[in-house]
Amino acid sequence: MKKLVLLFTAGTFALLSCSKDSDNGTSNSDFAALEDSVTINFVNKTAIPGYEDLLAKATTFNNVVTALNSSTTEANLTAAKTAWKDMRKTWEQCEGYLFGPVEDDNYDPNMDTWPVDYVQMDSLLNSSNALEIADIEGLATLSLRGYHPIEYILWGTDGKRAAAALTAREKKYITSLTVDLKNTCTNLRNSWIASGGNYSAKVMAAGKGSQPFPTRQSLFTAMAAALADICGEVGESKMKEPYDAKDPNIVESPFSGNSTTDFKNNIVGAYDVYMGTFLGSNGKSLHALVAAKNLSLDNTIQQQFQAAISSFDAITMPYEKAILDNAQRIVAAKTMSNLVTLKGTIEGDLENFILTNIKD
Amino acid sequence: MRIRKIYLAAALLACPALLMMCTKPAPFSDEDYDPRLSGGAATVFDATSKAFGNVIPGLSNYDQHIHDLGDNSVDQTFVTAPATINSGLGPIFNNVSCRSCHHNDGKGSPTTGTVTSSMLMRLSIPGTDAHGGPLPVPGYGLQLQDLAVFGETAEASVKITYTEQVYTYPDGTVTTLRKPAYTFINPYTTLPVDLMVSPRMAPPFFGLGLLVTIPESTILSYADENDANGDGISGRPNYVYDASKDKMMLGRFGMKANTATILTQAAAAYQQDMGITNKIFPKESSFGQPQMDNLADDPELPDSLLNAVEFYLLSLAVPARRNTTDGDVMAGEKLFAQVGCSNCHIPTMQTGVDVRYPYLSNQRIHPYTDLLLHDMGDGLADGRPDFKASGSEWKTPALWGVGLFEKTNGTPFYLHDGRARTLEEAILWHDGEAAKVKAKFTQLTAGERGQVIAFLKSL
Repeated sequence: MKKLVLLFTAGTFALLSCSKDSDNGTSNSDFAALEDSVTINFVNKTAIPGYEDLLAKATTFNNVVTALNSSTTEANLTAAKTAWKDMRKTWEQCEGYLFGPVEDDNYDPNMDTWPVDYVQMDSLLNSSNALEIADIEGLATLSLRGYHPIEYILWGTDGKRAAAALTAREKKYITSLTVDLKNTCTNLRNSWIASGGNYSAKVMAAGKGSQPFPTRQSLFTAMAAALADICGEVGESKMKEPYDAKDPNIVESPFSGNSTTDFKNNIVGAYDVYMGTFLGSNGKSLHALVAAKNLSLDNTIQQQFQAAISSFDAITMPYEKAILDNAQRIVAAKTMSNLVTLKGTIEGDLENFILTNIKD
Repeated sequence: MRIRKIYLAAALLACPALLMMCTKPAPFSDEDYDPRLSGGAATVFDATSKAFGNVIPGLSNYDQHIHDLGDNSVDQTFVTAPATINSGLGPIFNNVSCRSCHHNDGKGSPTTGTVTSSMLMRLSIPGTDAHGGPLPVPGYGLQLQDLAVFGETAEASVKITYTEQVYTYPDGTVTTLRKPAYTFINPYTTLPVDLMVSPRMAPPFFGLGLLVTIPESTILSYADENDANGDGISGRPNYVYDASKDKMMLGRFGMKANTATILTQAAAAYQQDMGITNKIFPKESSFGQPQMDNLADDPELPDSLLNAVEFYLLSLAVPARRNTTDGDVMAGEKLFAQVGCSNCHIPTMQTGVDVRYPYLSNQRIHPYTDLLLHDMGDGLADGRPDFKASGSEWKTPALWGVGLFEKTNGTPFYLHDGRARTLEEAILWHDGEAAKVKAKFTQLTAGERGQVIAFLKSL
């Protein structure tokens, strides 16, 4: 997944980029203050609000599915599907900064394991298991938990499941699954806040010598690497594998037809992390750091993000159908190519910028 | 690619000077090599949490494609058969995907039975099989599968308890080590009284292609089975049966050098850890046990995917060292050699030539291992022989990347069973053949010990 541009030495690059022309009049002390703001804003305007919003969406989702369980109407089924998509949107955007506890403590597979294990699900639903939250937590595999089993039950294989078709066991199962999602999101949120695991403090301490970010450079590199990773994940893996294999079976989120939206939200989230505009916030971010010293690079990154994001809109069919349609394959290939270009810029120019300019 | 260009440029610059001096061209001296290039040309500059997951630079498009297929495969979550994709999990297993244990292509956590667990238990009873390998436990085989698909029974679960023990340095500094003990809970059938158990943490994925390209003669040159040089260290090779080649070979992988090839290592992990049968191991791990499924779907893993995973593991690059010009790191490197760590953790080797893989061939690498077995004393002993390895012998693990575990793993754990929470603890567990070296380390000043750790963290 990772094809690094081999930097032989950071020093070589520094020689190349030492020219004054790209320095937009930012003094060293201003730049240091900017680094402070970027660090603080990443925590308080991106990371924590992202996970707070995810928890809020999970809570809503749980409430709506609980209502569906007690009153199985088409309206409640539609509400549950909407809440699934709403939560999914925030989650996919939060994947724009997939480092820290979400990665270290495996919160990601707790929510987003794919594919669904149909054989085990049938055994489970046909068993006498009580399907309470404790039972769900005791299941041996995550392929029975998280977004995708819920998606399968809400939409059905053809995406047209009627409310009346939901069985009592299925409703009980997905109700507990949404409690499980809510619990995972609570733990994830708590892992960052001061009253919990306080990962925020570790980020804020960047540059003071302690792990995991002994230097500011290592924190900003981690942010940039996370941006590159999600571009690669979408452009070189999630889209590319089903595209190459022309196999709809390996498209994620096939029941809801939400795959292209998922992909786009991943990149929208990454762009918002870069711009400091996560979920509508307004803070200093990598964009401000780059713009302070190299406007041209900042413009390039923004343009490439925008090109990648807008190119998703040309994929008008659900992705599992688009990969089988000749015209749609062309636009999907263009999107992947845009993502690979963007990833290259982030891994090359942006990470070089950080190595060259962030010295603390 | 760029490395070679720079060497070429350096060589061209050097040429006129050599001509002027009328001296014979000599090999590069040590100072002419960049100490950061732990994997030679197969090195990447990445110190983030993804540092272990980079492809070797300069692969052909075709090789890159196969690498990517393997990369994708190690991510895949397997599900219960029959399924349209990723079919064949279990019926009994330890985890559901390669990366569930090998977190970020690295090590993971020393726990068992959860989705984030990276540890398994090797089992055997006294005696050897037809190839001199360990003897399977009736009803269990050679590995405990502590999870099962819904409706099936896991072989047992494992409870890990730690006993804290105080260690006092000669200078009075006190630190705490923790020793693990393992209890099997709810075994599905009787365990034998003479059961032998060896806990193993998932090792990192990268650098394997380089290790497999080290000439056998180089590894054997470090062996000193009868300690002829009287230094108390008697490294010896393990020779193991390799199922993919159907012959006895020098062991290079596994905690006891108990596996010879990357292909067999990966194939055994699919079959034993996940219950995914394949061309090398076509029978379920539960074969002959009541959990066995009776589906006619073996081998469950397509040959091409297994081959792609083998190539993925072969073509993962080694992360470059950091801070190599830092004073403490440089002092620590000298101390590492002076106290004798480098007697087994061999700093520098040259890979051989494999014409299929130019990027692995003829590379000057810094793996910090001799790939040999050493008696590490009672504290670390598992009491479970594995081919030539005794119950107290372990293979010297490579140390490249060890300074990045804090990044790749969140919380780092060291040694075969993850008992060490810091590099310092890992050093203090050394005993047996390493007792003298460890004693010298403990006699260093606190500042010097810190320099050794600083050096290790630069790897």
